[in-house]
Amino acid sequence: MRLLPSATAFRFIGRRLLNAVPVLLGIAVLNFLLMQLAPGDAVSVLAGESGGAPPEYIEQLRRQYGLDQPILVQLALYMKNLLSFNLGHSFRHGMPVLDLILDRMGPTLLLMGSAFFFSLLSGVLLGVTAAVAVNTWRDRAISVLSVITYATPLFWMGLMLILLFSVRLEWFPTSGMEDVVAFYEGWDRVRDIARHLVLPMVTLSLFYMAVYARMMRASMLEQRDMDYVLTARAKGLTERKITYRHVLRNALLPVVTMAGVQVGALLGGSVVIESVFAWPGLGQLAFQSLFARDFNLLLGIFFLSACMVIVVNLVVDLIYMALDPRMKIG
Amino acid sequence: MSSTFWKRFARNRLALGGLVFLVVLAVVVLLAPVLYPGDPFRIVAQPFLPPFGDYLLGTDSLGRDIAAGIVHGGRTSLLIGIAATSAALLIGTLLGALAGFYRGRVDSLLMRFTEFFQTIPTFLFAIVLVAIMSPSLASVTIAIVVISWPPIVRLVRAEFISLCEREFVQASIVLGMSDREIIFRQVLPNAFSPIIVAGSLMVATAILTEAALAFLGLGDPNAISWGYMIGSGRSFLRDAWWLCAIPGVMILLTVLSINFVGEGLNDALNPRLRHS
Amino acid sequence: MTDQKKRMGLLRGLAIAGACLWGAVAFAQERGGTLVQLTFPEPPSLAPYANTSLAVPQVSSKIYEGLLEYDFSLQPQPGLARSWEVSEDGKSITFKLQEGVTFHDGAPFTSEDVRFTFMEVLKKHHPRGMGFLAVVQDVEAPDAHTAIFRLSSPAPYLMMALSAADSPVLPRHIFSEGDLRSHPNANLPVGTGPFKLTEWRRGEFIRLDRNDNYWREGKPYLDRVVVRFVPDASTRTALLEKGEAHLAGFSTVPFSDAKRLANVPTLDVSTRGYQMFSLVEGITFNTSRAPFDNKTVRQALSYAVDRQFIVDNIYFGFASVSTGQIHSNFAASGLYTSDVRDYNVADRVEIANRMLDEAGFPRNADGIRFETTLDTTAAYGEFYQRAAEVIQQNFAEVGVKLNLRSEDLPTFLNRVFTEYDTDMNQAGLGNLSDPVLGAHRALHSSAQRKGSVFMNNSHWSTPETDALMDAAAIETDPEKRKEIYHELQRLAAEEAPIIWLVNVNYPTVVNKKVHDAVSDAQGLHGSLVNAWIEK
Repeated sequence: MRLLPSATAFRFIGRRLLNAVPVLLGIAVLNFLLMQLAPGDAVSVLAGESGGAPPEYIEQLRRQYGLDQPILVQLALYMKNLLSFNLGHSFRHGMPVLDLILDRMGPTLLLMGSAFFFSLLSGVLLGVTAAVAVNTWRDRAISVLSVITYATPLFWMGLMLILLFSVRLEWFPTSGMEDVVAFYEGWDRVRDIARHLVLPMVTLSLFYMAVYARMMRASMLEQRDMDYVLTARAKGLTERKITYRHVLRNALLPVVTMAGVQVGALLGGSVVIESVFAWPGLGQLAFQSLFARDFNLLLGIFFLSACMVIVVNLVVDLIYMALDPRMKIG
Repeated sequence: MSSTFWKRFARNRLALGGLVFLVVLAVVVLLAPVLYPGDPFRIVAQPFLPPFGDYLLGTDSLGRDIAAGIVHGGRTSLLIGIAATSAALLIGTLLGALAGFYRGRVDSLLMRFTEFFQTIPTFLFAIVLVAIMSPSLASVTIAIVVISWPPIVRLVRAEFISLCEREFVQASIVLGMSDREIIFRQVLPNAFSPIIVAGSLMVATAILTEAALAFLGLGDPNAISWGYMIGSGRSFLRDAWWLCAIPGVMILLTVLSINFVGEGLNDALNPRLRHS
Repeated sequence: MTDQKKRMGLLRGLAIAGACLWGAVAFAQERGGTLVQLTFPEPPSLAPYANTSLAVPQVSSKIYEGLLEYDFSLQPQPGLARSWEVSEDGKSITFKLQEGVTFHDGAPFTSEDVRFTFMEVLKKHHPRGMGFLAVVQDVEAPDAHTAIFRLSSPAPYLMMALSAADSPVLPRHIFSEGDLRSHPNANLPVGTGPFKLTEWRRGEFIRLDRNDNYWREGKPYLDRVVVRFVPDASTRTALLEKGEAHLAGFSTVPFSDAKRLANVPTLDVSTRGYQMFSLVEGITFNTSRAPFDNKTVRQALSYAVDRQFIVDNIYFGFASVSTGQIHSNFAASGLYTSDVRDYNVADRVEIANRMLDEAGFPRNADGIRFETTLDTTAAYGEFYQRAAEVIQQNFAEVGVKLNLRSEDLPTFLNRVFTEYDTDMNQAGLGNLSDPVLGAHRALHSSAQRKGSVFMNNSHWSTPETDALMDAAAIETDPEKRKEIYHELQRLAAEEAPIIWLVNVNYPTVVNKKVHDAVSDAQGLHGSLVNAWIEK
C-alpha cells in the first residue's frame, strides 16, 4: 500500500489544483447567472418582512446594495471581488459572507465529518460481515436493515428518532448543538456537544451506511471469485488473510468512489436534518439565503462547496492510486 | 436468453415479490380515477378519523380521504420517478457514451460540464431550481433530472472506456463501421445491464427527492403526493400517527420493491455473477 | 390501598390550600434564572429602526426601549417618557423623560437622543416610519429631560406608535457617527433596556444578560434571556414540552400543537399580548381583472368561503371569523364593528350560487362557471397552504375552479405587489396599534403603489372611503372616530375587495414556572422586565 513517490505526488496535486482554478471561476460565473433567473430580490424580501415599505425606501436600498446596476456590471464586480478572495457582503445579515460561513463551518464539519466516518465505518463493517457470512441469517438481517434504512425518507427517520430517544426515553436532547441554559465550558462542553451530536449524526449516516453496506457486500462477493484470489488460495494463504489483505482492499475501490460522491451530497442532504435537529450548519444557511435572495451568501456557499468537491475528487483519486494494486507494480 | 433471464430473476424471491408489489401498485394507481373519482383534496368527512372505520385509511387534518390521497399521490410519485429517471438516463447515457467513446477533448469538455453540476450539493440544487421555476409537476421533474444525470454520465463513460478496449469493438473499427453504428449497435447493448440497474435505483431516489421537496412545501400545490401527505401530516405526528405513517410506509414499500427488483435485475444481468 | 388513597387525597388538599396561600401572598417575585425563549424565524438583524419583521422586536425590545408602553386596554403607560401632554390643538406633544437613565455603555439618556432617533433615524430609515412620522415636523429638546414633538396636523395614532417595537430610542453618540445603513452597531445594539446583548451565535441563539444598571429599581428579575432559533416546528414543540424552553409566541408553535400543549400540565397557553399586531388574514382580489371587477362576483365568493371551518381546523381555535379589515381586538377601543354585511350565514352557498348566476356566470357542462388562480406562498407557514386548499374546495362547491400557485416569498411578493400579475392572492395584514397604521394601507388609494409590499394591491378604492380614512387620521374625538371607522367597515364589507377570512389570535406558550412573561399589550414585543422564574 505504498503511496506515490512524493515528488510525483506533489506535481500531480499541483497540476490538478492549477487546473481547478479556471473551472472554479467558470462555476462561479454560471452560479451567478443561475441566481439571476430567480424572480424577486433581497430588497423586496426585506421590505416584505417589514410588513410594507414605501417605494422610495425600496429604491434607496436597491441603490445601496448595487442591485440597480446592470447584471453584467454586477457580475464583473462579483468576479473582481472573488479574485481578491472577497466573497462579498450579506445583504440580509449585514456582515461579510466569509464571517457568516466561518461561523457555521465548525458545526457543519463536525456533523458532516462524524456522519461521514460513522457511515463509512459502519457500512464497510456491515458489508464485510454480510459478505463473509453470505446467505446466513446474519447476512439477511444486515440486508434487511440496510434496505429499510435506504428506503426510509430521512426527515421521517429524524422525527421518529426525536420522538423515541428524546421525548419518550429522554436519552438525548431534542435539538441544537449545546445546552444554552448551562453554557458549559471545557470538557463538559465537549461531552454536551457529543450528546447533542448523536441523533443528527446517526440520522444523516443511515442512508449512506446502507449504501456502503450493500456496495461492500456486492464488491466483496465479486472480488472473491477473481483470479488473484484463486492464486492466493493456491499459494496456501488462509481464508482470513485472503479476505482481509486482498479482497477487502480491492473491494474498497467502488466504496471510495461513492464516498467522494457522498461528501458532495452531504452538504445539501443535511438541509433537512439540520432543520429537524436545529443544527446550526451551512445547509440551513444556504436554504434561508435562497428564500431571502441573499445571493452573495448563497453564491459564497456554492463556491465553497465547489472548492470542497474538487479537493475531495483529488483526494479520492489519491486514495484510489494508493489502493489499486496496479499502482504497486510501477 | 430471455427465459434464462426470467429464471434467474425469479430465483430471487424478494425481487419477484417487489415486482408483484410494483405491478399491483401500477394497476391501482392507473385505476385511481375509477377507484376514487374526483379531487383527492376534497373534504369528505370529519377530520382525524382513524383508519379502518368508514374510511379505509382514515381522514387527514381537513377531513380528506387518505386512501384517495394514497392512490392519487402514488400516481404523482411514480410519474415523477419514472419521467425523471427516463430523462436522466437518456441524457446521461448519451453524454457518457460520447465522452467514453471519443475521449480526448470531447471527453474533457463533457466531464467539465458534468463536474459543474456536481459541485452544487444535489438537494440544494434541486431546491434552487424548483424555486426559480415555481413548484409544479414539471419543475420538480426537471429539477430531479438535472441532479440525477451526472452520475449516469460517469457510469456510462467508464463502461464505454472499458468496452472500447475489447476485441469486438476494435474489430468493428477496423471493419470501418460508422461511429454511430459502433456506439449504438455494438457498445451500448453491452453496457445496458449496469445502466438498467442504476436506473431502477434512480427511480427510488427520485421518489424520495420528490417527497423531501414536497415535505419542504416545494411540491405542486394542485397535485397530491406521498411527500406532500407526510409534510402536511407531520404537525399531527403525536395525535394522528396515520397521517404520516401511511404515506411513509407506501414510500418505504415502493422504494424497497424497486430496490429488490433492481437487485434481481443485477443478478439476472450481471455476467460476472452469472457463472458463480 | 384505600389508606394510600386517603393520604393522597389529604396531600392534594394540602397542596390546594398551599396554592391558595401562595395566591394570597401574590407570588413574591424571585430573582435569578435563565429564561429560554423560542423565536422563529431568526431575526435577520437587531436593527429595529431598519428592519421591522416580526422576529426583530422579539429580541430588540429587550435591549431598546420606547417612550411609551401600553397596557392590555391599549392605554399608553410611562416608558422612557415619565409623563406627556398633548396641546389643545393636538399639534404638539410634550414628553417629560425619565431621569437617571443610562445606555448600556454608561452614557446618559437625554432628550437629544429622542430628537436624533425620531428626526434622523426613524423618519428617514424606518420602513414604516417614513409614513407614520410624516406629520412630525420637528422634535425640540429645550432641556435634557423634555422633548416636544411639533406636528403639522393632529395625529391621534402617533401616541400608539411609540413602543419599543415601533419606535426604539437609540443612543445618538453611537449612531450619529458613520453610515446608518451599514452601521457596525446594527447587530451590536446599545440601548437602555433591561437586558443587554452578550452573544449572537447565528443559527443557534442570542444570549442577553441582565442590565445591572437598569433604571427601574430592582428590575429585571431574570439573570439571562436566551433566544433560541429552531427551524423545525415539531422540534420546537418538543422543547417546550420537555421544559428545555419556556416561552414562544406568534406562529413559533403550530396552532395544532398549541392546542395540544394547552393540556400539558406544565404549560400555559394564552392569546393575550397581540393587540398591537392584530393580524387579519384574507384573500385579495385583483379588482382590475375580470371577473373580479364585478362586485357581485366578489361578494358571491366571499359567501362561498367557510370561515368557521378554517378557524376550527387550520387555526385550531386560535382565530375568529373575520368581518372586515379591522381586527376584533379593536372592540376594546370601540373602533371595531361586526354590524356589516354578514358573509357567514347558514345558506351562504345557495346565496353564492345565485349571485354568480345573476352576475352572468352560469355553470357550463361540467359544472364550472370559470377558472382562476390563487397565488400563495409557503413562507408564512403551512396554514397558508391549508387555507388555500380549503378555499379551493369551497369555490368548487359554487362552480369556480381554483388553481393554486405556490411560490417562494420573493417570487410571490414580486408577482403580487410589483408585477400585479395575479387574479387573487393570499396575504395577511397586521392592524398594528391603530387602523391608521394598519388598515389604511390595505384600503386607501394612496397606498396603491407599485413595488411597495403589503399595501393596497386590490386596486380598489372609492373617494368616499378615502375621505373617511383621511378624516379618521386627524380626528381627536374618540366618539367621532368610532363612527367614522364603523362606516368605513360597512362600506368596505359591502364592496368586498378582499375576502376577509380570520382574525388571528396567536397562542403564547409559557412554562408555568415563568410568571409575568406577558404583562402588557406588547406581549412578546415587550421587554420581559417583569418576568420571573419560580425556583
